[in-house]
Amino acid sequence: MTIEVRGLTRRYGDVVAVDDLSFDVLPGTVTGFLGPNGAGKSTTMRMVLGLDRPTAGSARVNGRAFAELRAPLREVGALLDPGAVHPGRTGRAHLRVAARTNGIPTARVDEVLAQVGLERAARRRIKGYSLGMKQRLGIAGALLGDPGVLLFDEPINGLDLDGVRWIRGLLRSLADEGRTVLVSSHLMSEVQQTADRVVVIGRGRLIADTTTGELMRGLGARVVRVRTPEADALLEALRGHRVARAGVDELHVSESSSAEVGALAHAAGVPLHHLSELEQSLEEAYLALTGDAVEFAGHG
Amino acid sequence: MGELFARTCAAEWTRLWSVRSTWWFLAAAWAMMHGIALMAGVSTAGQPDPPVGDPAWGIAPIVVLPAQFALLAVAVTAVTAEYATGGIVPTLQWTPRRSVLFWARVVVTTAVATVLGVAFAFTCGLVGWVAARPILDLEGAGVLGTVAFVLLAGTLLSVGLGFLLRSTAGGLVGVFLLLLVLPALLPQFGYEWLTEIADVLPGTSAIFLLTEEPSGRGLTERGSVVLMLVWAVGALAGGWARLVRDDAG
Ligand SMILES: Nc1ncnc2c1ncn2[C@@H]1O[C@H](COP(=O)(O)OP(=O)(O)OP(=O)(O)O)[C@@H](O)[C@H]1O
Ligand SMILES: [Mg+2]
Repeated sequence: MTIEVRGLTRRYGDVVAVDDLSFDVLPGTVTGFLGPNGAGKSTTMRMVLGLDRPTAGSARVNGRAFAELRAPLREVGALLDPGAVHPGRTGRAHLRVAARTNGIPTARVDEVLAQVGLERAARRRIKGYSLGMKQRLGIAGALLGDPGVLLFDEPINGLDLDGVRWIRGLLRSLADEGRTVLVSSHLMSEVQQTADRVVVIGRGRLIADTTTGELMRGLGARVVRVRTPEADALLEALRGHRVARAGVDELHVSESSSAEVGALAHAAGVPLHHLSELEQSLEEAYLALTGDAVEFAGHG
Repeated sequence: MGELFARTCAAEWTRLWSVRSTWWFLAAAWAMMHGIALMAGVSTAGQPDPPVGDPAWGIAPIVVLPAQFALLAVAVTAVTAEYATGGIVPTLQWTPRRSVLFWARVVVTTAVATVLGVAFAFTCGLVGWVAARPILDLEGAGVLGTVAFVLLAGTLLSVGLGFLLRSTAGGLVGVFLLLLVLPALLPQFGYEWLTEIADVLPGTSAIFLLTEEPSGRGLTERGSVVLMLVWAVGALAGGWARLVRDDAG
């Protein structure tokens, strides 16, 4: 149960959307697929699913090209664009068609509808669904065949807070059951809680392919922010640590923890006014990684 | 192959019937055909010199001529609505073998449009027969075979155009132009070469098969059948090639 991407390349005229991309997605893990807008995440996923034709290279699912699968829903579940459905069908009819195509018993349709919390809207036409409901319908479709490999393209879009929490739990439990889960996002913070591994791309090229922990460590994450009226004394007590002075009374300590800094300050008798770990460091690290690779930067 | 094709056809069947446009177009075809049949029957009965003993089935080609477009619209939209809505993306995710999807869609939509069209034409003959009683006869139902062929070839052409053009407007306009507008319009200009073009359009063949008009242009039944099949096969080949080779949507 793996996804193997090898030398995958896709050009649209002059635009190289995906550029010689290679990576593996392994079973039992949630792999975050990260990159700024236009990095080529959706294009990569469409090629993995045999929807778009690669200019070069290949993508294999469970050792075979997706387009060769006879009952793909039983092997690979995927949610790309949740709005790409016929609005005139009911949610239930949509999934019944899906079940028919892959020889899945239609009883399974009601099961997944209940699993994503859509049972009350199941007999309504999709044109009346909100974005979050369409997102849930797409997830139901991905789960329909109980597949070992799952791909989700920005599944958090349009979901409310409960929905976000639900999908994080879902991704986690899918991976814990031994499945292979690839989930794309343009925000690091979205995947850092759930992903075991991250594949980062920018302008279609691979930037990083590593575990989430390694990415954080390698990028000097976990900065402790501390404020004290006796900054010099604290600086002395933190000898041997990587410390940056951020102001008269503020220090940033890298590769440490608030517990450690607090203990050291206490031992040195230095009063503290503020002690926290900077959550955003990973986001910043990600921005630092992809900064050069941003396709569409805002101006002004 | 057999089992995969069978379940793909089953899914196509559900797909076709689970959208309202199918029902609307079929209802329109039904109403148009039976309305015309009723009027034709009544006016036959009211003629001062009624055509006693003519087959009632003669009504069938007359009602099919205009109403075929509602049936062909079912076929066109069965294909193009998926491109307009993006529904082709999940469709190809579920059936990534594109030739399988193609042939399942061709078979199901063609069968539905043709079988229902012929069934409607049959009841139209009965309606006309009842309305004109006792003037018309129920002999000579063979014309229903011609109706079946014209609908079959027309639906194949429509499905092919749908896959080729990927647009509802484009598909419907294409079907109208080839089957109705150009065959009727081109000969009006009086240039021989325009009439010759009209003679190789599928609509001229369809009209000739249904009505034996226009006469005097050297059209034959066999030639018309071949020509319609050539157009149908050409459109299918083009549609298949685009589906199999291009990106999904
Ligand atoms: N059908 C297409 N025709 C032309 N260019 C395309 C097409 N699809 C994608 N592209 C281009 O390919 C690049 C990658 O697009 P893609 O949608 O894969 O990015 P993404 O990483 O999914 O971005 P986002 O986070 O915004 O979803 C972009 O520059 C985009 O403009
Ligand atoms: Mg995208």
